This record gives sequence, C-alpha cells and structure tokens, in this order.
Amino acid sequence: MNKWLVALAACTAFAQDPRQIVEEVQKRAQSKSQQYEGTLEVVDAKSKVSTKRWEYSRLGAFGSSKSVLRFTAPAEVKGVALLVHNHPDRSSDQWMWRPAIERDQRIALQDRSTRFFGTDFSYEDLEERDVNQFDFKLLGEETIDGHPCWKLESRPREKKVSQYAYSYLWIRKDHYIYAQIDAFNKAGLARRIKYSDVQDVQNIWTARTIEVFDAAKKSRTTLKFEKLRYNVPMDESAFTLQALRRAS
Amino acid sequence: MTLLRLISFQYVRKHKLRWLLTLAGIVLGVAVFVGMHTANQSVLRAFHQTIDRIAGATQLQVSAGEAGFPEEALEIVQNSPDVRIAVPVIEASVNPGRGNLLLLGVDMTGDRSLRDYDLENNNDDAIDDPLVFLAQPDSLLVTRIFANAYGLKIGDKLPMSTMAGPRDFVVRGIMQSGGLASAFGGNLAVMDIYAAQKMLGRGRRFDRIDIAVREGVRVEQAQERLRKLLGGGYLVESPGARGQQFESTAQIYSLVSSITSMFALFVGMFLIYNTFEIAVSQRRSEIGILRALGATRRQIRTLFLGESVVAGLVGSLLGIGFGLLLARGIAAYVGAMLSEVYGVAQNVEDVAAEPWLLAAAITVGTLTSVLAALIPARDASRVDPVKALQKGKLQLIGQGENMRRRIGAIALFALAVGCMSMSHIRPLFYLGYLLAVMSAVLFAPTACNWVTRTLRPFLKWLRPVEGALAADSLIESPRRTSGTVTALMLSLALVIALGGIARSSYKSIQDWLVIALNPDLFVTTNETLTSRSFVFPPEIGEGIATIAGVDLVQMVRTVRINVRNTPVMLVCTDIASVARKAHLPPREGNPDTLYNEVAQGKGVIVSDNFALLRKFKLGDVLELPAPDGTLRMPILGIVTDYSDQQGSILMDRKVYIEHWKDTAVNVFRVYLDKPSFEPAVRARIQEMYGGRTRLFVFTNQDLRAYILKLTDQWFGLTYVQIAVAVLVAILGIVNTLTVSISDRKRELGVLQAVGGLRSQIRGTIWMEALAIGFTGLVLGFVVGAIQLYYTLEISRTDVAGLRLDYQYPVNIALVLVPVILGAAWISALGPAESAVRGSLVEALEYE
Repeated sequence: MNKWLVALAACTAFAQDPRQIVEEVQKRAQSKSQQYEGTLEVVDAKSKVSTKRWEYSRLGAFGSSKSVLRFTAPAEVKGVALLVHNHPDRSSDQWMWRPAIERDQRIALQDRSTRFFGTDFSYEDLEERDVNQFDFKLLGEETIDGHPCWKLESRPREKKVSQYAYSYLWIRKDHYIYAQIDAFNKAGLARRIKYSDVQDVQNIWTARTIEVFDAAKKSRTTLKFEKLRYNVPMDESAFTLQALRRAS
Repeated sequence: MTLLRLISFQYVRKHKLRWLLTLAGIVLGVAVFVGMHTANQSVLRAFHQTIDRIAGATQLQVSAGEAGFPEEALEIVQNSPDVRIAVPVIEASVNPGRGNLLLLGVDMTGDRSLRDYDLENNNDDAIDDPLVFLAQPDSLLVTRIFANAYGLKIGDKLPMSTMAGPRDFVVRGIMQSGGLASAFGGNLAVMDIYAAQKMLGRGRRFDRIDIAVREGVRVEQAQERLRKLLGGGYLVESPGARGQQFESTAQIYSLVSSITSMFALFVGMFLIYNTFEIAVSQRRSEIGILRALGATRRQIRTLFLGESVVAGLVGSLLGIGFGLLLARGIAAYVGAMLSEVYGVAQNVEDVAAEPWLLAAAITVGTLTSVLAALIPARDASRVDPVKALQKGKLQLIGQGENMRRRIGAIALFALAVGCMSMSHIRPLFYLGYLLAVMSAVLFAPTACNWVTRTLRPFLKWLRPVEGALAADSLIESPRRTSGTVTALMLSLALVIALGGIARSSYKSIQDWLVIALNPDLFVTTNETLTSRSFVFPPEIGEGIATIAGVDLVQMVRTVRINVRNTPVMLVCTDIASVARKAHLPPREGNPDTLYNEVAQGKGVIVSDNFALLRKFKLGDVLELPAPDGTLRMPILGIVTDYSDQQGSILMDRKVYIEHWKDTAVNVFRVYLDKPSFEPAVRARIQEMYGGRTRLFVFTNQDLRAYILKLTDQWFGLTYVQIAVAVLVAILGIVNTLTVSISDRKRELGVLQAVGGLRSQIRGTIWMEALAIGFTGLVLGFVVGAIQLYYTLEISRTDVAGLRLDYQYPVNIALVLVPVILGAAWISALGPAESAVRGSLVEALEYE
C-alpha cells in the first residue's frame, strides 16, 4: 500500500512539474514518422467557406523532424508544397514549392507570423513545439470540454524566434495530449487552437480535428486528419527541395 | 493713394487697350514661369507620391541600379540583426492596352507586414483565395480605381504580352482606394514577385529590397551597417532618396523654363518701360499742373511707381491664372515625355502651384514692372512745371544721353568679351552673358536709328509720302520706337538661339545615327526602345544568329547606374564587334587601340556629354557600383554619343556579366548579309519567337524615325518657347502702334485736314509697322548670333553636355522675315483703321 502511495505521490510530483508534463506529451506522441491526408476548411467572418485538401508526411520527431505538406485539391492549388526542417536549437527552415512557376521560395523567419495560404494557421503554427525551445510554468488545473487538464504557460526561449509573447497550454491529464492552446502576442489573444476527436491511432492518442480561431479576423479554420498512420517507412531523400521539384 | 485713384485710374481708364497690351508682357512672362514650374513641380510631386505610397512603412531600400541584383542578397539582408522585415520588390511600367499600369511584384507571404493593401471589406478574402493567388502566376491584384475604369471584377481577365508569351491575367483581388492603391493615379497592379520575374524576363533577380528596421535600432545605424554588409555595389537609402534621375531631368526643364520666363519678363519690361515713357510724355501737362499745385517731386515719382506696382500686381495675377491653365497641358506633356524617355512611372493627378511659387511670381512680376518704370518715374519727377505747361514734343533722346548709352554699350560689350575669355568660371560666364544682353539693349536705340535712317530712302522710293512720314515718325520718336524694337530684338534673338540649337542638335544626332545605329534590324521587348521593364534571355539572340541571312547579332544590355550620385546609362555589348561594325571615331583616346582594350575589359568608353557634365577626362578612373562591389575602370576613350541625356558609359558585355551576374538583353542589333534579306529575316524572327515571347522587330528606318520623334518631343518645349517669343514680339508691335496712333492723333488729324487721303494715312501706319518689324528683324538677327553662342555654351556645359557646332539657323531666320513682317502688318490693321476712322474734330480739338 505504502509502495503505491509513494508511487502515486511521486507520480503526482512528477506530473506537476510543467516541463516534465510537456516532455511526457512529447514522449507519448513520439513516432518515427507520420502520414495523413488533411481536409482544411476555412470559414471567414462572413461565413464564407473554402475547402482544400493536402497530404502530409513527417519523418523524425520533435526538434529534428522533417515534413512535407502538399496540396492536392482544388485543382488550382494542386502541387503547392511546404517543406519544413525543424531544428532542436533554433527556428525551423521552411520552403514553399510552386509548380506553376517551377520554383521554390524560402519562407523567411520574419514571415512566419503571416497566415499560411489564407488559413488561420500561421507558418509558425505548422512547426512542432519542441519542449527545449520554451520555458514553462504550471498555472493550475482546468476542465476543457469535460476533460481535466493542466494549464501551463509557455514562453519562447531567446533563440526561438516567435510571433507569440506567450501561450497558455491545456494538456489533458488522461492521455497527455493538448486540449487547447491560446497564443498571445503583444496585443492580446492572437489564436486559439482546439484539439478534438481524440482517438488512439497505433497506440498514440491523437486529436483528429484541430480548429484554429483567429481572434483578430474572427475567422476559423478546421483541419481534419484522415488516413492517419504512424511509423510508416519513409526515405529521407523525400524531404528535400529536389524531391519537391521531382514530385511536381 | 488719392492721387492714384484720382489721376492714374482715370488715365488708365482712358487708355484701357494700351494698358492691357502693356500688361501682356508681364502676364505672358508670369504665365510661362508659373505654368512651367507648376507643371514641373506637379510631375515631381506625382513621382514622389507614387514612391511614398508604394513605400508604405518602408524605412530603407536596398538597390543596385536598374539591373537589379541576385536573389541571394535578400537572405543576407533578412539575416541582419538590424532588420525586422525585408521584402523583395520588382517595379515595372507596363501597358496592357489600357494605358500605363505600374506593376508591383511583391512577395505576398511577407509583404503585408510592410504595405497595407487595404483590401476591400478589410478582409483577406477580397483576394479571392490567397492560396490560389500564390499558386497561379496569372494572379493580379488591382485597385478599385483601375477596376472601375475598365469595368473589371474579380475573376475577369486582363490580357498582357509577357516574356513568356501572351497571357491572360486574372483579377483575384481588388484594393480599396487610398494609400497604396492611389499610387500612380490608381493605375497600379500587384502580382507575386516570382511570377513577375517570369513575366518580365528578369531571371532570379530583384529590383530592390524594402526594409523596416528592428525596434530600438536607429535607421541611420541600420543603413550604415547594411552598407558595410552588402558592399559598395549596393545603395542603401531612404525611399525619399529615390528618383534622382527624374529630378535631374526635371531640373533641366526647370532651368530652360526659368530662362524662357525670365526672358519673357525681360521683354515685357521693355514694353512697360515704353508705355510709361509715353505716359510721362503724354501727361507732362498734368504733371506740370500737379507740380504747380504743390506736389513734390517725390510724390510724382511715387505716383508713377505706384502705377507700376498696380500694373505689376494685376499682370502677375492674370499671369498666375493663365499659368495654372497652361500647367495642366505642360504637366501632361512633360510627364508623358519623361515616361517615354526614361521609362519612369508617374502619373500627374493634380496640378497645383505651391504658395512660394505664387509669391515668387507676384514678386518677380511686380518687381519687373517697378524696374521698368524707374526711369520714366524719375523723368516724370524731373519735369519742370513751367516747361511742362508749354506745348511740344519730348520724344527726342538728347545727344548727350545717346552718347552715354553708346559708350556704356561699348564698355559693357568689352567687359562681356573679357568674361567670355574666362568662361570656365561659370558665374563670370553668366555675367558675360548678362553684360552682352545689356550692351545690346543700350545700343538698340542707336542701332534702331541707324537702320531706320538707312531704310528711309527705300521707304520714300516705295511710297514718297507715306514712306517718308513713316520713317520720320520713327526717327523723331526714338523713345516710343526703341523700346518696342528692343523687345522685338530680344524676342527674335531668343528665337534664333533656340532655332539654332535645335538645328545643331538635329544635325549632330543624324550624323551619330548614321554611324552608331547602323544595324539592319533591332529586336526589342518594347514598342519604345527606352522602356526597360522587360528583358530578353541571351538564348533568343543565339537563335536569331542561326537564321539564314543574318550576319551578326550584337546583344546590348542598357541599365542605369549611379555614378557620383547621378544616374547614367551603362551600355554593355560586344565591343570588338562594335569596333568592326559601328566604329565611332573617338573625340579623345587612341583610335587604333581603344576598342581592343575596352573589349579586353581594360577600361570603358564614355560619351562626350557624360565627360562634360560630370567633369571627367581621359584616363580618369570611374567607380562603378556593381553587385559584387565597386568596379574601378579607367576611361580609355571619349566618343560623341547621344544614347542618353545624362551621359553613357560603354562597357564590354563580358565584363558586365562577370560583375553584375546578369545575362539579360534589352536589344538585339541584327546585321544582315544583304539589306534585301530584311523582310524575310524579320518574318522569320516573328515566326520563331513572336508567339513565345514579347518581341518587336524594328527596321533601321523605323528606329531612326522613332529617335527623331523623341528628339522632336525634346524640342517640343523649344517650339513653345519660340511661339512665346514671337507672341511677345507681336504684342510689342501692336502696343507701339496703338500708342503711336493715340500719340499722333493731332498730327494725323492735321494731315487729314490738309487733304491727306485715308489710304495715305493707312499706308503710313502700315509702313511704320513694317519698318519697326524690319528694324527688329535686323537687330534680332545680329543679337541672335550672340545669343546662340551663349545658348550653345549653356547647353554644352550646364544642361545637356552636348558639344554642338555653331550653325546659324538661316532657314528659321528666313521664315521669321515674312512671319514678323506679316504680323507687323496685321498688328497695324486695327490702329490704322482707328486712325482713319477717328473723329477729325476730336483730333483737332487740341489745336
């Protein structure tokens, strides 16, 4: 019994260290690779809806991953792709590929705060949040959509170039996954990202719907994951500019 | 004030027409001054507005001349710790068949941090779909003004000829009016910069980078660090510093227009002087009465000066009104011409004069009038009341006064010659010019007298009574005549000078065209050779060279670069082949080795006007800003070249490519095996590339006609000046004759009373007018010869750097003879009829 109590106390102490909570989130989401087809729905302030589809592949995880996101529909945007190389010690490198003019374009760090192709995501939001690039503070516990969560504050470290001054993170206690992120810039709330439709996919609890709300524009983007798979064999050479060009 | 109201106003009311004609000189001078300067200012303001509106929140701009720079520079700038935002820009003026459109190529991913696109509904979705906008290279964002003007809405197509062939661009967003959208008069379109590179054939190059500095960093600090970071080949400056080229060209117009308006005012001064002298003479008895009633000399002088102030003010105000009307037309003309010659985009939206200009116009107009009235006012104040109340004429210039004028004229002329020998000191040169004109003015009454006396026997032979009367009237009224003749002389001198410079320029340009522009065909990206928005890849030239009948293709790249803070034209081509085909004999430099050495990259050749205007000489080392650093090249030769008004530098294409990393081509100069192959080769070029790229093929004849058209445009203002000068001359004659008739009413009345026929009276006045015209022509031709010398010198050293030969414009002089004599005769018609039909009783009332 004592053993259990000690273990429970240790576990609670462990869980209440904000950094360790986020490390646990990262650990549980860890996979060698990820692949999905996404459906993106943008609803603007006037309720005008536009829908796009993309394919996403990621190799590696947190800090050193590489990913490719390629639009597949509608026809006018088919082939436009984004290549992201994440780094553990600095901001990611990002390139865009535009097949119609057959050229790549580097997305400068200064441009990461801009909207990603008219969605409510910014380029920065597409990066993975690596625990080593932020400082965390535990603010308390709250319930989000009926799920008990830890509420954390994260602030980017000096080397991390971010549009956000700080963010509040709600992490579900049951599966150690994000339930909600409120990202703030100097003016106040910039974006609210909500994670829902949580499912166990190959032993990794994953939110299959992500909704982003742009507080300034009052518009909303919903991303739904389909055909989600983890640990799919992938070739590193597929995550290069040359591969982007070849694939078009 | 009471005297002005009681005496002057009554006199003016009685002689309305004369005063109006007198004021015409001031009105014209002020109108030209206000019109030209307002137009210049408006064009410049439009240009700066376009720059400011496009700049948005930009604090610094990085550029490297017209050729732009490789994309890699962007990353260097973006990585600078001083830089918050750095976005690339391509700017081009295109014509999609719906007027000129300023095309702004920007990186839509980051540009909105710097520029507010003010999209309709304040919503990004006014760009129908941002992803589609980026994904499709035919996407275009236009302004509401442009969309309304051409009835465009989202999804509509706008066809444009591009370097990738004809394309239908799709309107995918509309910007609200105001801010950026009002730049270039709202004729603005925004597209993705990488799509713009393809469309314009620019390769992987940008025109400039717009920068906002990081918070806490001073702009000057960032500017200095970026300069060091990028090296000497790049310019890092504030957006306002752009447009030097435009301003320096507009300055030439300012100088030319200032000279014209000053000249018009100067001539107007003589008209006013003339009128006041006559007024003093006519009002002698009035002055005598005033003096007898106790008016002091000072009061009389003040009365006349007061009249001149009022005349100056009224003339200036009327001149401002006319000037503002003129400005609209001139602004459109100057703006269109600068766009044509320099390809610099601007759009004159509103033409408005600045307060300082209006104040200057009123001051100059009034001062001119007061200056002109100084001597007559002094004469009036010296009138002896006793003598004044006696009847008689006072038109003769005293022998002593005449002698003093002649001595003064000779002394001034001697001084002017002295200044001419030291003309390298510019203030002395201009002083000499002024002294020469003053000398001519002082000598004019004497010369006028000589010419009229010489003319008298001829006039008498032609018409014994009328001829003798007309000549005597002029000889006996030197004050009345000499002012007009002087005005006419100055006006015609200006016409001769301007005509002379136009003739010399034409001849020199034609000589240059024969040698320098001798290829059979010219292949360009634009209808106008001067626009450099679109460029060719070199491969097209290589393709043209393979066409049967083509002997040689010379690839020419022309870009503006800054040398000593002035934009000059860098012309880059294969110098060895130029030496073979279009060997311009150098003015300076070794003709045997020059071209070889330049072909080997050992130096450059510069145009004569560049050397003259920028004070360079043979052997001097030029510092040319290239993207890879400052390139130092010695001047190996100086040639006569009219490629550009600011001057040109001729460099071998290999050297250019090595340092600018730019292989683009503006013009292919195509030499054929035989001239008769021209239609076939032209057709083949169109067949090979016409559908694939934007391309225009000109024959040698087309090109020459085009360049001469440009030259005509450049001299368009000269013709305006000539028209102004002729108009002033005519006004002078009308004025004098009107005055003459009213002055001689009694004389003419007596003549009729003793049996003089109406036809004789009429004939006398006509002959008087013709004699004034003839005298003015003779003196104008002589003074014009001197004026031409000074104008050529000013043009050579201070305006265009063109070393033009002295060629007296005999043809213009010959045309002026019937024009002026005809104008004189027409001017005499009204006054002659007035003299003939005037009341005899009224005319003899005096007796």
